[in-house]
Amino acid sequence: MKKHYLLSFVILFAVVLASCAPAAAPAEEAPAAEEAVVEEAVVEEAVVEAPVCVETVCEDADVAAVSAADVDAACAADAYGCAVIDAGQTVKIGMSSPMTGGYADFGIDAENSGLIAVKDACGYAGFSFELVAEDDEGGAEGGAAVANKMVADPTVVGIAGPLFSGASAAGIPIYDAAGVPLLSPSATNPPLTAMGSAVFNRVPFTDDAQGAAAADYMFNTLGFTKIAVLHDGETYGKGLATIVKSEFEGFGGEVVVFEGITVGEADYTPILTTISASAPEAIYFGGYSAEGAVLSNQMKSLGLEDAVFFGCDGTFGADYLSLTGENGEGSYHATPKEPPATDTKANFDVCYESAYGIGPVVLSPFSYNSYDCTSALIAAAKDASMLGEDGKLYIPRGTMVDAIRGLTDYTGISGTYSCNEIGECNVEGPQFWTLTGGEYVKAD
Amino acid sequence: MNNHPIRESFQKGLVFAIIVVFMMMTGFHLIAATLASKAFGVYVLRGSIPDVRFMGYIHMLFGFWAGWSASGRTGKTSTRIFQGFAAGFTTGAFVALFDLLLTFLILSGTDIREYLSALSIESMDYFLLNLRQMGILAHLGIYTATGLIGSALAVFLRSEPVQHGWQNLKSSITNFTTRINETLPLLVRKFGKYLTYLVLLAVLVILPTKWGSYMNFVIGLVGLYVIAGIGLNIVVGLSGQLVLGYAAFFAMGAYSVGLLNAPEPHNLMWGFWPSIVVAILMAIAAAFVLGLPLMRLRGDYLAIVTLGFGEIIRILLKSDTLTNFTGGPRGLNDIHGPTLFGKPFTSDVDYVYLIFAFVALSIFIYNRLQDSRTGRAWLAIKEDPIAAQATGINLQKYKLLALIIGAAFAGLVGGIMAARNQFTGPNDHSMMVSMNVLSLVIVGGVNSIPGIILGAFALKGLPEILREVENYRQLAFGALLITMMLMRPDGLWPSSRPKMEKGDYSQNGENITNDGGKNA
Amino acid sequence: MLPNDKTKSSLILRNILKYIRPIFGILVAVYIIWRLYLVFIVQNLYGPETWTRLLISGLIIGGVYSLIAIGYTLVYGILLMINFAHGEVMMTGAFAGYFVFEAAKSINVPSVGNPDLVFANAYPVLSILIAFIAGMAVSAAIGYFLEKIAYRPLRKAPRLIPLISAIGASIFLQNAALLLFSPQTRNYTNPEILSRGNGWKILINGSNVTLPYTGVFTFILSILLMVALLFLVKKTRLGKAMRAVAMDKDTAALMGIDVNQTISNTFIISGALAGAAGVMWGLHNGMFHYFVGFIPGIKAFTAAVLGGIGNIPGAMLGGMLLGLVESIGPTALDISYQLKDVISFVILIVILVFKPSGILGEVLAEEKI
Repeated sequence: MKKHYLLSFVILFAVVLASCAPAAAPAEEAPAAEEAVVEEAVVEEAVVEAPVCVETVCEDADVAAVSAADVDAACAADAYGCAVIDAGQTVKIGMSSPMTGGYADFGIDAENSGLIAVKDACGYAGFSFELVAEDDEGGAEGGAAVANKMVADPTVVGIAGPLFSGASAAGIPIYDAAGVPLLSPSATNPPLTAMGSAVFNRVPFTDDAQGAAAADYMFNTLGFTKIAVLHDGETYGKGLATIVKSEFEGFGGEVVVFEGITVGEADYTPILTTISASAPEAIYFGGYSAEGAVLSNQMKSLGLEDAVFFGCDGTFGADYLSLTGENGEGSYHATPKEPPATDTKANFDVCYESAYGIGPVVLSPFSYNSYDCTSALIAAAKDASMLGEDGKLYIPRGTMVDAIRGLTDYTGISGTYSCNEIGECNVEGPQFWTLTGGEYVKAD
Repeated sequence: MNNHPIRESFQKGLVFAIIVVFMMMTGFHLIAATLASKAFGVYVLRGSIPDVRFMGYIHMLFGFWAGWSASGRTGKTSTRIFQGFAAGFTTGAFVALFDLLLTFLILSGTDIREYLSALSIESMDYFLLNLRQMGILAHLGIYTATGLIGSALAVFLRSEPVQHGWQNLKSSITNFTTRINETLPLLVRKFGKYLTYLVLLAVLVILPTKWGSYMNFVIGLVGLYVIAGIGLNIVVGLSGQLVLGYAAFFAMGAYSVGLLNAPEPHNLMWGFWPSIVVAILMAIAAAFVLGLPLMRLRGDYLAIVTLGFGEIIRILLKSDTLTNFTGGPRGLNDIHGPTLFGKPFTSDVDYVYLIFAFVALSIFIYNRLQDSRTGRAWLAIKEDPIAAQATGINLQKYKLLALIIGAAFAGLVGGIMAARNQFTGPNDHSMMVSMNVLSLVIVGGVNSIPGIILGAFALKGLPEILREVENYRQLAFGALLITMMLMRPDGLWPSSRPKMEKGDYSQNGENITNDGGKNA
Repeated sequence: MLPNDKTKSSLILRNILKYIRPIFGILVAVYIIWRLYLVFIVQNLYGPETWTRLLISGLIIGGVYSLIAIGYTLVYGILLMINFAHGEVMMTGAFAGYFVFEAAKSINVPSVGNPDLVFANAYPVLSILIAFIAGMAVSAAIGYFLEKIAYRPLRKAPRLIPLISAIGASIFLQNAALLLFSPQTRNYTNPEILSRGNGWKILINGSNVTLPYTGVFTFILSILLMVALLFLVKKTRLGKAMRAVAMDKDTAALMGIDVNQTISNTFIISGALAGAAGVMWGLHNGMFHYFVGFIPGIKAFTAAVLGGIGNIPGAMLGGMLLGLVESIGPTALDISYQLKDVISFVILIVILVFKPSGILGEVLAEEKI
């Protein structure tokens, strides 16, 4: 008997709701249903002033076909041969990043940015681009696995990554052998460009540069003579911390404690207590925002109220801000050069937010870098492409590799890049920021 | 008692509704529809939404499934069909309730993606088949209708005439194969087994040169995990000791080869073959040192201690204090590979051959061990330690021996992996690696070589190929482990040994799902 | 006399084994004493305020571990089963509590002097209570369904099978939370009276040592829950049923006890405990995410084994000990802080070598042969 009541109630409710719904806006006849991302907040009675993501309007420019003989000559002359994309296939830009596990934020953020970049770049000669993001779990085994998979796919012409240094180290030999150019938004470990690879390039400054700049800033600008240095035990954080320590001591300062913490813990009070016994003026931390936030929060109640928390580009972001609140006041962070406030950047911010529900540079500080790397690769692919008379697209791999290595004055959202002969595309030092009044303010 | 079948259908319907709602809340409905779209040949760009009719197909699929599984095997036909109707309707009703919530969210423009990250407006719209409020009724209709169809089909396929026909088909196939078997020449029948081995060997030698470097990479990985699985099986399956920190021994082997062959930090360059011997010896030493004080411990205590040992090794390798010796978190780069008769291993094919050779060697060693006096001792210890002691078997000695041999296998695998990847680091030897090897042994089938091979394929090879469902891969993995244990706890390819030893010489390998808890 | 395995190898082994334990023990003891001497007598770097702070940290960390370990040990004691998914059950409790506090901080209850007052600060005790109830309820439900779906059908299977099922359940729950709630690390918004970092201030040696409110709350809560659980197990009918089922399932069934229901109840209680631990984690540590239950789950298991598996006061003791070792150990022994887990595991191994059933001894279901 009870089931019948339930039944009738449900039906009644559904009917009532259906009849009481406001005169529904006509179902959006989404134009070109295949690829368009539906723009939200335009049709309904939502707030009128909300910024709207302006999509790039793609025009199909006519591309002249290249004769078969020229194509063959170009491909034969190329050291790695040509990537051949059949009609109907897509040209793929790969991504090698952690998408599961503790660092999934980075990979998801990179993929988000990359997808927007692909949409904005449009297609070429009737071929569209596609982003293929694979999970390398941020480590070497995954990095090698993804590298093998990428080079086995003949339509992959470039990788906007790998994101992590460990995966890069493992993948570089494989990509080198196949001639697939890499443009990494975030792999900052210094030795990566010293491996003699022709294909690896990166956009962020290295940890060497950041560490030296940080030590200099702390000693000379802020006038600290006694600091403690912590790191998170990983390649990036530890590398940074080691450099800061040696540079700071080189200036004549004193590093009272140099220690590593374990990632993922929630309570660092013991090590902070030990540090407080030596009363340093600042604590430098090489690592990411989650641990940085815990340290900042717990510093305050352990006799370290006056110590300054000095972070790095891994700790910068809305994440740190929201997790520390007022405990983060007065802390310092670094970013890859400040992205200039252009319309492109503003539009990107809106598009990112409307597509994914959160803003860029929340999951990781490299959102803009990922966008730029993907866009640069697509641009280079377009430049190097030859449309054959048979309707296939030919992209000489060696040309791509050289094009990326030879990137000069490429203007992306996060700045203008030029790559040097070993693949460092951004040698300018970091920009320091301090948290004041709940906002990031540029520090001089 | 007529209510019971109907109540069961309601419960089943509710379960399916929960699955569908969960699927939507995690965003899986988009992936499912993408897969359906690809199955029908319509290509979908990454990040785009497939055509809405595929969402409809997915709904229909679940409704069908609900109806099918709700339909009972016995009872009146009309009841059985009604069960499907009831289940479908229940699913539809609860999904419709959920739809009410979704419609409310869409119409009020609320963005709760801060809390439930998959609930974007497009995602919700898509789930509702782009019909908004009408989607509620549409769902109700779809689920009820397909539920009915599902149960009707189930009733039909389980009915007498259809079952009869199916049995006839099966027996005629069996007859056919037996007849073929009988007409084969005597020679072939006698040496059939060896013939298959020969063919297999030919395939294994030729294929790696043909199918590309990616497949070689995957097959190599699978092979290495087979060796590891065999090693772990010796410890866990043959001698019954639960070890959860197997990755520690990988690390010993990998770092031995790495430290002796990488330019930094020591630049020793001993060469691969001597290093592999060192790797195995180091793993054995570690097992000895670990096992000696702990052989008296009960099963689960040993588990946590070995887990701890695995973590100790990983932390030590990563730590500051030992960085000068082990390379720290950066790991060891540019590890040089083996050279055979002066020719370095540059191609992946060489590595695959090497791995195949070691796999064959491991299988050989395993089989000999199992049949040896030591193997018998292990079996005795596993079945009944007290009785084993009473017959004069030194428990500690044999348990330690099992641990040492298992560790040796792991050391070998670690060493080869380090040379093949040209890189190793502390994060490569985490707890998850130990869990993975344990899972593949148990899912494949304990004490069964074909089972371990199958397990390695399923757990290591398949995900490499199945990167489509990326984000959901781990979710599926967890669900798969549970499902496997519920449905086939003996493993995908169970060992045929216990049956043989109990005097049952049947050839069809029917598995027993429980044997009274004797094996642990 | 039965033939003895008098092969040379086993004789050598037996001799080694005879002496290994005392030698091992002496080595460890000497090392510890030497390091302590170095730190306390020779270097004497740290004043009493530092040691007090470390002690407080250790007790609080220990309190968190104990909370989780109690639930772990309950299930193990009754079913001889390592519930690998216990950490994930705790994580779901943390999420449930989070949503309650998010709701509480959005509801506006303006009062005369404070137009921006939110529910969480107007009725802090009520909010906290609701959060705990929600967390415990959700976790208990998850524990119940976990048992029903993944463990009950495997009750008669060899021990390895439910273990793999538990590992599978753990992975499933982690990734379900990842997919539902995104990998974003979230922060608890405590009501103001219980804000993190604030506490009573004690002046020691010229320095202000803080005794955090949330920390004390954690410690007291873990003791309360332990006492409540002991009462439940020893003095109530439900507890009696649990002990009976632990002793002999079949006979208990013959005596009229609903074995299935009892085991379900065990998981429900264990889940509720994990849920309380999860909410407490959020209140005290603030940050949590989908992966937050994994490492504490392992540590809680270690703590439970340390104190004696199945033994509820043992879990408490083990948790406290583990917390203290993690906190004071690295500083007292002048070992790198990164190696604190190494110290913990070595202590575990040492204790198990000398007392294989844990410090307070194990309290277990009868092993079925």
